[in-house]
Amino acid sequence: MRRILAQTRKEITQILRDKMALGLVLFLPLMQLILMGSAISLDIENLPIAVQDLDDTAASRQFIDAFRASDTFYVVSYPIDRQPESAFTSNLARAALIIPKHFGRDIARGVPAPVQMLIDASDSNTAKLIAGYAGEITRAWNASNGNGEVAPVEAAMRFWYNPGRSSKKFYGPGIFVLALSIFPPLLATLATAKEGEQKTILQVYVSSISAHEYLLGKILTFMLVAFCDCLILMTLLFTYFGLNFAGDPTPFIVSMVLYAFCVAAFGTLIGCAIPNQAAAMQAVAMGGFLLVFMLSGLIFPIQNIPIQIRWLSNFIWGRYFIDIVRDAFLQGGGWPATWWKVIIIGVIGVCFYMLAWRNMRRMQVKA
Amino acid sequence: MGLLFSHRFLALLKKEFAQIRRDRRLAMSLIVPPTLQLLLFSLVLNATVSDLKLGIIDDSHTPESRSLTSTLTESKSFKLAGYYFDVNQLGDAISRGDLDAGVVIPKGYAKDLRRGRPVTVQFLLNAMNANTAAIAQGYAEGVVASYNADLPDEGIHADFRQIAANDVSRKGQAQLTSAYLYNPGLVGSWFVVTGIFGLLLILNGSMVAAVAMVKEREVGTIEQLLMSPAGTYEIIVAKMAPLFFVLFLMVLFATALIKIAFDIPFHGDILVLFAGAALCVLSGIGLGTVIATFTHSAYQAQLTSFFVFPLLTTVSGAITPAEAIPRWLQPLVVINPIHHFSVIARSSMIKGSGFEAIWPNFMVLFVFTLIMVSASVWRFRKQLS
Repeated sequence: MRRILAQTRKEITQILRDKMALGLVLFLPLMQLILMGSAISLDIENLPIAVQDLDDTAASRQFIDAFRASDTFYVVSYPIDRQPESAFTSNLARAALIIPKHFGRDIARGVPAPVQMLIDASDSNTAKLIAGYAGEITRAWNASNGNGEVAPVEAAMRFWYNPGRSSKKFYGPGIFVLALSIFPPLLATLATAKEGEQKTILQVYVSSISAHEYLLGKILTFMLVAFCDCLILMTLLFTYFGLNFAGDPTPFIVSMVLYAFCVAAFGTLIGCAIPNQAAAMQAVAMGGFLLVFMLSGLIFPIQNIPIQIRWLSNFIWGRYFIDIVRDAFLQGGGWPATWWKVIIIGVIGVCFYMLAWRNMRRMQVKA
Repeated sequence: MGLLFSHRFLALLKKEFAQIRRDRRLAMSLIVPPTLQLLLFSLVLNATVSDLKLGIIDDSHTPESRSLTSTLTESKSFKLAGYYFDVNQLGDAISRGDLDAGVVIPKGYAKDLRRGRPVTVQFLLNAMNANTAAIAQGYAEGVVASYNADLPDEGIHADFRQIAANDVSRKGQAQLTSAYLYNPGLVGSWFVVTGIFGLLLILNGSMVAAVAMVKEREVGTIEQLLMSPAGTYEIIVAKMAPLFFVLFLMVLFATALIKIAFDIPFHGDILVLFAGAALCVLSGIGLGTVIATFTHSAYQAQLTSFFVFPLLTTVSGAITPAEAIPRWLQPLVVINPIHHFSVIARSSMIKGSGFEAIWPNFMVLFVFTLIMVSASVWRFRKQLS
């Protein structure tokens, strides 16, 4: 135990001396969380739509006002003698609302008044959102005008867990996990690979320290780094992202400890296996960033991954932690919903540790 | 310009081309990983919302309520995941992730309908993922609207028609018809593929350029280059030319792959796309060169790009729509080459825009390239002194 702590103390001293490492730990995760958490969103706002009002009556203007009043759309009036498609090809608008002649007359007469919405579907997700919002605005306009028939069946929507449908609240916890999956293991890898590169690892071999003690010392250090990151990022989640624990925080706390172990062990493993800082860094970038970014349901749901590669996501440690963090901050399902995910993170962490240990043991004999 | 084609410059150019030709690994690394990335990214990143798992509480147990549930579940949007008996059970299932949405049909559903009274059906959506919830809401409301329209004119609906007809002051209803242009099948991959295309050009271009530039310094041959009579501009342009050549091969390769694997239409002039790609590659190389002048080894260049790239990717609108990026980050989008190439690729390929429609994007890419190359020359000179 004393040797482990000594090893940890040495590592911490090294980190504190290295300004770049400090920046990696303190500043970059923060920046990443703010930038990515704000920028990644599929929910549109202020989307330009071209409006061609061929009717130009009080009713049509009122109808356009309903679109103008929404946060989603931003109305750009478009000359009626030009094809609306040209607004799409030059990217001036994403959709076009065309109100035909006699719109006002039809409304006054009590007959259905057709309106056309052309949507640029080159971005299919946005196109669907536009159609949904435009439909809602039309329904609301019809209802508020007291016109039209009463719909027999009405759908009342309840949005659970994230009633404001805020993208930030959904992506914030994911980016939090992403940051924890990159920076602590990156630092661990650099520190471990450096010893291999500069051959100071030979001194470790000839010392009386065992492979277990060496690894645990390293891992403990970078677990502390992960906790430090976690505290900084949580502050941001609580303030800027407006999140709070939705229920029992203990699954989050337990899995946070396990996840810190998991990523620190991953970084150390890569550092042991590849004694070259540049190459090892690339491996961590690959594992920490790409896999967690793409295969863990961070931006898009896992169910959308084609089935041939979807099984891969079962091995991605970040996936389970993302689920747990989202549950802790948004759903509050607690232990019944997440216990098995906590166990899986622990198992993956132990696997990383065993692999690193095997690697170290072999090297020690070789040297 | 005459200076650029002087004998001296051609000699430098020959040297650089020979170096690239000998470096098989570099050539391979420019072709193979981008292809894999393009395929993998585009397959994995998919925003489509379909087959939402729907749980149903049917307190009515009548033919009417069953016809509503079958209308809901026969669409591709919702998939029946099970029946539940009380809201707590349903809530637990949503929180476990077994369900994405739930419907509660009230006890008096059929009775109210028969009497001509409007009835409310409650939808519970897991809104944790804001996008899925918004789209699910659109689906649900669309399905209910078409269910309302399809209610038989005799029987239930007739009551409603009658009630409504009695009201003389009734006004007409606006009927919105949506049409999806350019991508009527709403194929999600078209958006992502075109975005990833730009991403790969910039990221690979700048990475390769940074490593190639730094290499000379690492090996120490940079002094010899500087001692030669060639000017800074000549050295840098000569370094860029073969990279540009190889990267453009990648562009051709990737374009073919996009066409074959994702079946994206090519409505526009392919020359517009290639011109955009060429500018995009150049700005990538320029970016890499600037990164290289700030670093002293391949390792440092990599570390720097490791932090620049995620930032560039996030604020590009390549994977998520640029319109969704908050206003305070929009300035970063405007100067982002990835964004402009994505716009060019999407407009030209999917919408068939001509050069006259998207020239502003070309302008930005051009200016970006110019600034990057000038900055690298300036930094290079500064290091000399």
